[in-house]
Amino acid sequence: MTSPVLPLADVNVEALTIFGVVLAITLYITYWASKRMTGADTFYAAGRSITGFQNGLAISGDYLSAASFLGIAGLIYIYGFDGFLYSVGFLVAFLTVMFLLAERMRNAGKYTIADVLSFRLNQRPARTAAALGTLAVVAFYLIAQMVGAGVLIQALVGLDFSTAVIITGICMLAYVVFGGMLATTWVQIIKAVLLMAGILVMSVFVLERVGFNPIELFNRANENKGPESAFSLGPGTYLSSPIDTMSLGLALVLGTAGLPHILMRFFTVPDAKAARGSVVYAMFIIGGFYILTTFIGFGARAVMGDAGLEAAGKGGNLAAPNLAAELGGGVGTFGGDAFLAIIAAVAFATILAVVAGLVLSASGAVAHDIWSNVIRHGRDSQKEELWAGRVAAAGIGAIAIAIAIIGGPGLNVSFMVGLAFAVAASANFPALLLALTWRRFNTTGAITGVLFGVVSAIVLVIISPGVWPGPDSEGGAFSWYSLANPGIISIPLGFLGCWLGTMLSSEKAQERSFHELYVRSETGIGAERPIHV
Amino acid sequence: MASHNDDRSWEDELHDVDWEAVENTAEFQELVRSRRRFVVPATVFFLVWYLGFIALAGYAEDFMAESVIEGLTVGYCLALTQFVMVAVLGLMYLRRARETFDPLADQVARMVADRGSRFARDPDARPAGDRTPAAQPVTTTDPEARS
Repeated sequence: MTSPVLPLADVNVEALTIFGVVLAITLYITYWASKRMTGADTFYAAGRSITGFQNGLAISGDYLSAASFLGIAGLIYIYGFDGFLYSVGFLVAFLTVMFLLAERMRNAGKYTIADVLSFRLNQRPARTAAALGTLAVVAFYLIAQMVGAGVLIQALVGLDFSTAVIITGICMLAYVVFGGMLATTWVQIIKAVLLMAGILVMSVFVLERVGFNPIELFNRANENKGPESAFSLGPGTYLSSPIDTMSLGLALVLGTAGLPHILMRFFTVPDAKAARGSVVYAMFIIGGFYILTTFIGFGARAVMGDAGLEAAGKGGNLAAPNLAAELGGGVGTFGGDAFLAIIAAVAFATILAVVAGLVLSASGAVAHDIWSNVIRHGRDSQKEELWAGRVAAAGIGAIAIAIAIIGGPGLNVSFMVGLAFAVAASANFPALLLALTWRRFNTTGAITGVLFGVVSAIVLVIISPGVWPGPDSEGGAFSWYSLANPGIISIPLGFLGCWLGTMLSSEKAQERSFHELYVRSETGIGAERPIHV
Repeated sequence: MASHNDDRSWEDELHDVDWEAVENTAEFQELVRSRRRFVVPATVFFLVWYLGFIALAGYAEDFMAESVIEGLTVGYCLALTQFVMVAVLGLMYLRRARETFDPLADQVARMVADRGSRFARDPDARPAGDRTPAAQPVTTTDPEARS
């Protein structure tokens, strides 16, 4: 893959300045948060003192990655309606989160997914399995985000790829290591506000061109496609295999409920009521955002037509920033450059907020689950746990930076976000749901379930056509297997693994622990209480 | 800030609760039933509505590309119904939780806090393979705070 072409190859001073302002604000917040860091409770859960509304914003900031903003706007620009199909799945997923997990996680958990599993299962094997599921999701998601960050910043600001990755990585580590969840939360809140403001202003500019009539926008977009254009107001242009589309949809709707960095956000609020409220706020913010992205995507088509295809780059990722420049008066004018710089800075803030959340959840899996509970048997102090968390975060961040730089801008990351959702839906979601609701479920079931889910999702992606070179019709390791999205097979396999392991093992279900988990997860009795930070 | 050591007594108290007895109370059963009565149909509904939409996008491309008004396709309108569905189900759940689930959950919590002895478990009845306290990730809550 060559790096995307954009009119500005030189360093964009305006964009760099706005980046600098965003960085200064977020680093000041990190300094403020670092003085409130008292132990693992503040590091992983911000003292459980975040309000429902704040958490709703932070969930949105954690969830809406650059792939949601630039990626979906770009897909709509190139392919039309099919790009919008993704957003619908990303949004509906929050119903799964709210109905099945949000309150129960808050009631029964402390810092990580594994806390809920080990409540009723054998501590060390269950924690290890849950940590594996978390780390698999974070690994794919984080590397995709880091490489994406490098490519985007290179194109938007003119910094080279490695520099961009290192700056992103260092900021991410500063937020997490010094400011923990408190700083990460506020970075996510600021990002959500910036992103919503940015996309709202852009949408108003776009709609102003069509007399604030969205239907006129769709018509102009449709008129503006060339004879060879893939764009359509109907489906089937990007997602051409129906069964693959179903598979993707299933992974999106169930996968969000297994994303460790999203579930972790529910530990930051005072109680289950706030957790539930925060999901509803997030639904409205994220829903509004995805409706506005259709104005950006169709707007880019209506304003730029096929002429903007080359500059929009692979997957159309730069369609939104290019549209901003166009709306501001065109590249080279003051308004155009300023608008481009603002949208570039918003995209940068977007990436930072997501990667910080990811690193924090991975550090929970390594430090809280593996180090504190499996190796130290829970005998370490809050202080030691805080330090273990910091060291783990620094290590994970350093590895992610190194992989992104070694892989370089050409690393094929397009399948990685989908894979992260597939692993989350196939490994984390079944184990969590069954631990909370199935009386007979046992430790062996959790381990086989997570292994089935992780392994099947990864293997199916490895043999899928997208990973293998050659035309799509001939791609893939096996001619009989053509699914790009493994969800429809790997999710049932994850549940099957949980069931088989439970049924085949001679281990007795820990009835009494289940009674306790069941009552406490439903009522909130004995839930972790907030502290003031 | 609450230190972790102050809470020892309540934590021990939690450990001595006979959770099976709490689970079998009419109040807890009513809580679980009423939550299930909402969540199960709502989950089935949204999964069917969403997967049906995705299936239409996959298998009925022409229908989805038809115009409701020139330029506004059936597909886009059906996608918007998903947004409406999320908003409506979200708000309905919020209301049901406030009016029904929360009072029931508070009632169960008060029962456990006030009449601890009723749910105290008989130490002799504890099975040999019972979990150790170290296996618990949870700590405490303030019983006063939930009434």
